[in-house]
Amino acid sequence: MKGGIHLKPVLLMVGLYIFLKFGMPLFTAPLPASLIMLYLMLMFSGIMIFMTLSGTSMESFLGPIFRFISGDGQDGTMKMARMAVLALFPLLVGWQTYTSTATSTVPPAENRTVHPAPPGEFAAMSNPVPNTPENVMQGKGLYAAYCSPCHGLFDGKGPASRGFTPPPANFKDPTTIAMLQESYLFWRIKKGGVGLSVEGMPWKSAMPRWEFELKDEQIWKIIMGEYDGAGQKPRTWE
Amino acid sequence: MKAANQRLEWKWGILAGTAMAAILWGVSPAWAQESVSIRAMLTTSVPADDPTAPAWNSVAASQFPMSPQVHWPTRIQEVTVKDVRVRGLHDGKQVAILLEYDDPTQDADDAAAIEFMVGDKKAHFAHGQPMGQVEGGPVNIWFWKNKDAKALDMNAKGFGTLKVQDQQDLKGKGVYQDGKWKVVFSRAVTTGDANDTQFKPGEFINIAFAVWDGQKDPASGDLKERGSQKAVSSWWYFRVDPQPDYTSYFYALLAIGLAAGFEFVVIRKLRKGPSA
Repeated sequence: MKGGIHLKPVLLMVGLYIFLKFGMPLFTAPLPASLIMLYLMLMFSGIMIFMTLSGTSMESFLGPIFRFISGDGQDGTMKMARMAVLALFPLLVGWQTYTSTATSTVPPAENRTVHPAPPGEFAAMSNPVPNTPENVMQGKGLYAAYCSPCHGLFDGKGPASRGFTPPPANFKDPTTIAMLQESYLFWRIKKGGVGLSVEGMPWKSAMPRWEFELKDEQIWKIIMGEYDGAGQKPRTWE
Repeated sequence: MKAANQRLEWKWGILAGTAMAAILWGVSPAWAQESVSIRAMLTTSVPADDPTAPAWNSVAASQFPMSPQVHWPTRIQEVTVKDVRVRGLHDGKQVAILLEYDDPTQDADDAAAIEFMVGDKKAHFAHGQPMGQVEGGPVNIWFWKNKDAKALDMNAKGFGTLKVQDQQDLKGKGVYQDGKWKVVFSRAVTTGDANDTQFKPGEFINIAFAVWDGQKDPASGDLKERGSQKAVSSWWYFRVDPQPDYTSYFYALLAIGLAAGFEFVVIRKLRKGPSA
């Protein structure tokens, strides 16, 4: 079937696009549109080089396209289709130009770092409070009193959470406390949202600076209660 | 037989063209991320002290969720107002912002506020609290209280630093109807006061909201919400819309002309054949 010569490249391009746009975010962060565009252009160039390697392959690949564009010996439907494509192309270019030059009505995108690096003095700390059932229980009690209004049942959905953006952390989510060390949590609880570095956008965080109200020992107990309640283990150096 | 084959070829040609166009379309930057913001739309007359003016119905409201203020003592665990709906209008000189929210009771101490950052420095949404690693700026707070029947122009840089400005540039008016407060704040787009936030048309700035339900506890007679015990929002975005700009229509027309010209040249070349 002659059509196959065009079907394969189209399927390849569509397949690559679907993989980059929807497949990749399953493993990593969503790719920016500009990067997807770059990959597609590379694939397109590859296809063009491959298809134009010999005179015959070039003719069988480009010939039908050229004949379609030039309108040689076309009748009814084909003529209409050609006119539609010829009319659509300038309109598409016009639309792209409009969207790229029109003044945006969308606020600037924010690239907030969710877990910026802690200050040095917090990096090497280890929990001095022994992990006993009693301490864990005390930590859970403190958690209920001080943390649960926003962080809820360790899921970030407490009754006071709805108005805050960024939302309170969900400790059951494997990308929060499960990938952090206890010392990191100690820093975030003690210094609060205002203690974040600039890339963490401290001006947006509602997290209180608990060092004014809680003793260090209480904070360490809360951390133990938090991991236990969320069913997570702290990250270690090993 | 040749005709049938040719027809098949054309079909694949169209399919290829459509697929390429769809791909280009799909990765277009027009699919930018969405954020929640309020835009003060350009109008000819601003209902500066009329929260019920029909002009407000001509603009869509943005809705923002509220939380009890838990960042700093004295905290509160539960508040009356769960959302505020916000609209904006301006005429190039005056800007008016309308807050609307559900409140089952009208009380003398019902109050609402809008907060902005002042200048280039970022300020924490909780009264411009000092930050550990970032030098923060002050906030400009517009505060309206039912029993005062006016709005106050204030500044703060951290809790306990709230101060009424010497230069008052604000107007404010609230109307209570059918279980809803509608409060309009208005001000000149730019003021000569360095303590005020200034609006540059087209530029997004940060905005936040606070609401106090002035209801009293029937047992103690104390206000349920007062001072730091209030409903608050996070920072969102606000802008005063710029004058309409038609240059991008011109660029688009130019691009359409160029693309059509390109098509014309290509078709001519193809029709003349490889010898041409």
